[in-house]
Amino acid sequence: MTVMEDYQPVFTGKALEELQTVLQRYPNKQAALLPTLWIAQREHGWISDRIMAEVGEILGLTPAFVKGVVTFYTMYHQHPVGKNFVQVCTTSPCNVCGAEDVLKALLQQTGAGDAGATSPDGKWTIVEVECLGACGFATPILINDDFIENVTPEKVADLVRKYR
Amino acid sequence: MTDNLITLTIDGAPVSVPPGTLVIEAAKQAGVLVPHYCYHPGLPVAGLCRMCLVEIEKAPKLQIACATTVTEGMVVKTQTAPAKDARQGVLEFLLINHPLDCPICDQAGECELQDFVFQEGQASTRYAEFAKRFNPVEDFGPDVLYVPNRCILCTRCVRFMEDVAQEPVLNVSERGDRAFIGIHPEARLDHPWAGNVVDLCPVGSLLSKDFLHKARAWELDKTASICTGCSQGCNISLDTRDEVVVRVRPRPNLDVNRYFICDHGRMHYRWMNRGDRIEAPLIRHDGELKAVDWDEALDRVVGILRGASGGGKAVALVSPGASSEALAAAKRLLSGFTWTGAFQVVMGEEAPLAGVPNLALRAERAPNAKGAEQLGYTRDYAPALAAAKTAAVVLVLDDPDCAVETDGALLYLGTVLGDDAPCRKAEVVLPIANVAEEEGTFVNRDGREQRYFQAKPAPGMAQPAAWVLGQLAQAMAPPLPVAEVS
Amino acid sequence: MGYPHKPHPKETVVLSQYFGDADARTYKGWVKRGGYEALAQALKSDPVAVTDIVKESGLRGRGGAGFPTGLKWSFMPKEKKRPHYLCVNADESEPGTFKDREIMRWTPHALLEGTAIAAHAIRAEVAYIYIRGEFTEPWTIMERALGDANAAGVFGDIKIHLHRGAGAYICGEETALMNSIEGKRGNPRIKPPFPAAAGLFGLPTTINNVETLAAVPHIIKRGAAWYKGLCLSNPKSTGTKLFSVCGHVQRPGNYEVTMGFPLKDLLYDMCGGPPAGRTLKACIPGGSSVPILTREETEACLLDYEGVALKGSMLGSGGVIVFDDSADMVYQIMRLARFYAHESCAQCTQCREGTAWTTKILERILAGQGKTTDLDLLLDLSENMTGKTICVLSDSCAAPIVSGIKKFRGEFEAYLAGKRQPVMVS
Repeated sequence: MTVMEDYQPVFTGKALEELQTVLQRYPNKQAALLPTLWIAQREHGWISDRIMAEVGEILGLTPAFVKGVVTFYTMYHQHPVGKNFVQVCTTSPCNVCGAEDVLKALLQQTGAGDAGATSPDGKWTIVEVECLGACGFATPILINDDFIENVTPEKVADLVRKYR
Repeated sequence: MTDNLITLTIDGAPVSVPPGTLVIEAAKQAGVLVPHYCYHPGLPVAGLCRMCLVEIEKAPKLQIACATTVTEGMVVKTQTAPAKDARQGVLEFLLINHPLDCPICDQAGECELQDFVFQEGQASTRYAEFAKRFNPVEDFGPDVLYVPNRCILCTRCVRFMEDVAQEPVLNVSERGDRAFIGIHPEARLDHPWAGNVVDLCPVGSLLSKDFLHKARAWELDKTASICTGCSQGCNISLDTRDEVVVRVRPRPNLDVNRYFICDHGRMHYRWMNRGDRIEAPLIRHDGELKAVDWDEALDRVVGILRGASGGGKAVALVSPGASSEALAAAKRLLSGFTWTGAFQVVMGEEAPLAGVPNLALRAERAPNAKGAEQLGYTRDYAPALAAAKTAAVVLVLDDPDCAVETDGALLYLGTVLGDDAPCRKAEVVLPIANVAEEEGTFVNRDGREQRYFQAKPAPGMAQPAAWVLGQLAQAMAPPLPVAEVS
Repeated sequence: MGYPHKPHPKETVVLSQYFGDADARTYKGWVKRGGYEALAQALKSDPVAVTDIVKESGLRGRGGAGFPTGLKWSFMPKEKKRPHYLCVNADESEPGTFKDREIMRWTPHALLEGTAIAAHAIRAEVAYIYIRGEFTEPWTIMERALGDANAAGVFGDIKIHLHRGAGAYICGEETALMNSIEGKRGNPRIKPPFPAAAGLFGLPTTINNVETLAAVPHIIKRGAAWYKGLCLSNPKSTGTKLFSVCGHVQRPGNYEVTMGFPLKDLLYDMCGGPPAGRTLKACIPGGSSVPILTREETEACLLDYEGVALKGSMLGSGGVIVFDDSADMVYQIMRLARFYAHESCAQCTQCREGTAWTTKILERILAGQGKTTDLDLLLDLSENMTGKTICVLSDSCAAPIVSGIKKFRGEFEAYLAGKRQPVMVS
């Protein structure tokens, strides 16, 4: 495989060590694909086509196969996102508890504007997601890995300030 | 008839099949075609198009025929209201995003979506006011175009590349109604057997660039033939339009090529349409080659042969793409001489289809090397060329680039003859048909004799080489034995 | 305990005893509370004996299908010829359901203990706990707990691994879950073969829900008869269930009650009913994939598998979604259809195209552009989407649509007749 630009492989040093540990948990390399993609996303922020090819090479999978998997799961980013990636649940149980107002407040107060877009200062990407499994704590949101319960439009300002 | 067959009833017709047979295959035997898309006997079962749902007595829900194994006494019904409704449901769902491209789609006339909609679809759509999903056409590889709008996501192409070619370069990308067939930008669809995805695609979503907009399916005549690209002997169909070969497709043969051909063979047909053919028999007259009729040309050859016999040497330099009949007749014709027969084969890189045993694009790029060997021709070409120098008669069969030099009589049978070709020095030039223009036999590398048939007329006065050589053999007075052509 | 609320006197506290107790999720804290005794006991018993206890208890799968757990375990091959696997389904993504999350973040060791007992019963060498990607807090807690338990060596030879999902509801379907662990797209598989014959990596596998396994240590410790005795209505539904109540109630949360408990008491007594001044209009008792109940049906419904079926719905995951009179049923049904359209894996034609099409029709109705034929069209499409696919996601999309049109037809017709202001733009 020819390397064109200066591609910095993701799986070196600590990440590579972690990968070795992950591989121990499964009887074959393919089964390590999802955890490997998580490591890649953690290291790089998102999963590019080139990274998919690198992962494929390490696990003995074709780049197309890896891409088919990446595009199936919504939590893997296929392009860069803002410093704070925010997931807001708007499925019916949260919907009837005002989830869409929470979403609107977040989009406004972060400057992101539209769901899926990144704010001009690069700090926020807000997306609508399906049920987050905390329906009794409406409205739950994820800001990166922080799972925050009971968010209301009133609480948005403080959250935005805290994470900005 | 073995004892342990399973008997079941399909649409009232009893049928007996071996245990383990799928209902959809048993139905075929009973003469019932269960409509389907994702199922293909050459691919692993997916069971996802849901088109083959059938009613099976005692089963609480409709079952997919492609993934249900027969049981003794099973009663299968494909034409009851629930089964028909289910099929109509699937067709309606497929059509909501499928564009009305038939007027510009290559698949029209050989499209399984068209076929089943005609057979049992609804006359109008209930999806009218919504926009159809749109994605631009993609270039997947050297010959394959992907039209996502027409794709019904049967995944035959993905499964072919993954399980049969064993190079998963196609995937399903995204989820839900956003899904499409995808490739990775760093890996094109250039596998040596990739073209089969175009055949497998039930609709006009995967298209051959080579065939794009060349002809309509109903304009094509299809003739059974054998691929001449290598010694595997894949069974093919030559599709002709107005007597021009426009496409090559595989014919199923479970013992040779299953359902597939390689891209080399698929593209190996343009030469069959060459216009620069020898169209009339030629004999040397006053130092020049002059066109004559067959009688005169054959007489001239007989004269040469009779004049040169008496224990002299004859060398036959032949193409390993000539039919076994022609090769046998050539040998018989020269049986009064001390005979040497040889051929040379162009070699290339072998390209196996990993998921099928004993199937590959073979290194020997000729269809009948084995047939020639069986008849006594050897691969000792260079010695034969040397022997030709002093031979009384040299017969060159369909080997236009043969660099032959002889003091004896040179006879050339071929389809073409370049201006600078050494065979221009021949005493007699006889025009012959190519593989698409005659009927004949090839023997593949495994010793399998296979017949190919005539797809189009030969140009001008050209005749099959077997006929020409057979006529000559007949014209020679006894004691030549009567030819027994198979 | 209706965490974060105090336990209600009518609750039967078994699984939820330590919800809210941070000490209970430490290894030492769990052992102090009698943890891992059941496991030690089980590991000394014959796997078949353990299975028999669970069979006798009447425990049924708490993920949604309600299949008898002991019976499922007994489907594994009698003769051990190849490796066996246990998969724990912690993919909890059914709208309205949030009980497994609580079990994992408050009593991670209960899950680990139940997992190990189950692995022993089915003779699995390895167990994977599949945790949905969004459950970042339960993941961290489970990781810590697993590390501590491993260090203490309580699992014997059994290896338990955590596997993180990445955003796909369909991976909660048992065969899709296995495909996801194998490093593939989370596509459900056609059955047969069944997991007990050929499952994870083609080997005999059992898949169990978190709540199901969390009950197992209690059953081993206190006996099958005790668990069987926890039954208020139908003897086929035993034990306790965590009901996740959400939507228009004053005190949403998880409530643990004995099977057969009246839904009315759960909603009004424990959860305080709808907010002041509002009345109950509809209730989905088992997660969004089951038919919607009217107020009348809700108030007469007993919470066990048979009781809910009697009212024309299903107990399912026990995710109770409550709608009061302020809810726009058409909008919520549209939002549910949109959920299924997002989550469809794309394999089956009916699901891939039908979930999107029905969503579009509902959106059109909400935009004031519905046609008089739309309701019949929705019902017809729903029928085409039911009972015809590899998995039941397609049926699940149809369920709220069919029950919604049947029971709240007036709300749909109000939009169609222009009597209600459009709430969407086309």
